[in-house]
Amino acid sequence: MKKNYALPLFLASILIVALAAVAGSGRNNDLPASPAIGTTIDDFKLPDADGAEHSLKSLTGKHGAVIIFVATKCPVSNAYNDRMEKLAQDYKAKGINVIGINSNNTEPAAEVKSHAGEKHLTFTILKDDGNKIADRLGATKTPEVYVLDANSKLVYHGRIDNSQKPEGITANDLREALDEMLAGKPISKTGGAAFGCTIKRVS
Amino acid sequence: MKSISRQVATLAAGSVAVLCLGLAAFAQTLSASPSKTVYRSPLIQGRYFEDLVPRPKNYIPECCFCGQKTPFFDTWRWKPVSPPADVREIDLEGLKKILQRDPKDTRPLLINFWATWCDPCREEFPDLVKLDADYTAKRLNFVAVSLDDISEIKTAVPQFLKEMKATMPVVLLNVNDPEPAIHAVDEKWDGQLPATFLYDKDGRVVFKYFGRIKPEELRAAIDKTVVKQ
Repeated sequence: MKKNYALPLFLASILIVALAAVAGSGRNNDLPASPAIGTTIDDFKLPDADGAEHSLKSLTGKHGAVIIFVATKCPVSNAYNDRMEKLAQDYKAKGINVIGINSNNTEPAAEVKSHAGEKHLTFTILKDDGNKIADRLGATKTPEVYVLDANSKLVYHGRIDNSQKPEGITANDLREALDEMLAGKPISKTGGAAFGCTIKRVS
Repeated sequence: MKSISRQVATLAAGSVAVLCLGLAAFAQTLSASPSKTVYRSPLIQGRYFEDLVPRPKNYIPECCFCGQKTPFFDTWRWKPVSPPADVREIDLEGLKKILQRDPKDTRPLLINFWATWCDPCREEFPDLVKLDADYTAKRLNFVAVSLDDISEIKTAVPQFLKEMKATMPVVLLNVNDPEPAIHAVDEKWDGQLPATFLYDKDGRVVFKYFGRIKPEELRAAIDKTVVKQ
């Protein structure tokens, strides 16, 4: 009687595919990588909390822009509310605009608007539904900062400073980078790591 | 009368049979190899118990009436033990020491970074507590590192751990500048929480995940690392 190997072969192939899928070490989240320093960031459009659409170019100041991924519920992002607002006011006059982006799928536009009102945040905060811009920039947490020069070139990517508590600040990385950029100097520290809340992406 | 006597006799015989079976099971557990395990009783308000008598590995007492696996019916074998120790504060050097580990310790190391203010950290914690309970005997080193403010080390942090009935060691990282600590763990980590890292015995990162963990993936990675070693 002829033996039928079709079923065992089929099962074996399923097993091989399954093993290949789980094989290998260091399985990470499949999050997009951030663009390297020096990369030109393409223009994009996002609505603000009122639904009005803005392009990155239209919000960028004469000398550049500071994009900050923010959240309404993240205590780390909220710890920086006053500092972000002060940053926006200090550097607007110098031609650098602060642009907030909320990519959390758990925080709708209405909440972003009311939060900004309560916390007196006057800089534009855009709503990134579907976390498309977070993916494009490889943003992973809040707050997370990207500084673009006047030509939309990425010159800094990282943290605002080294301490959630203002009294613990010993390294004002973002302000130092902005001052160097305005002075036409190369930026000595192009980034810095800090703890923050993961951006709540759509699954 | 005769039928009543028969019923009584049947009942008595059945009771003796059940008693014998119970004694036989007890005798078997006594003769098996000892397994020192701390159990957490879900029915006695989360108190911790330790074996008083030896029992086979992976023994889970079962309710003979309801078929539920529960330690409740074995409480006479157990004595209460203290809950996990207080949360210890560590600095950058303390974190590096955890990461360096003892060369004689060949167990893989699982580190989870979390904070009480981090919602996904709180949501995944029960999975981590369960994982800790399941893998204690399987040679896994597990440390949970809290990034809460130092002022919460005796308040919010232990309160949360008590609510979670956590059994794994927990430390609180207190550093002025987080960047060296973040890079000490993984150069590619941006500092987002929660973050979970699995190191093999040689200190290599063999698994990492940012955001709420997927327990089945983490377990698969742990199983693979434990088997390899």
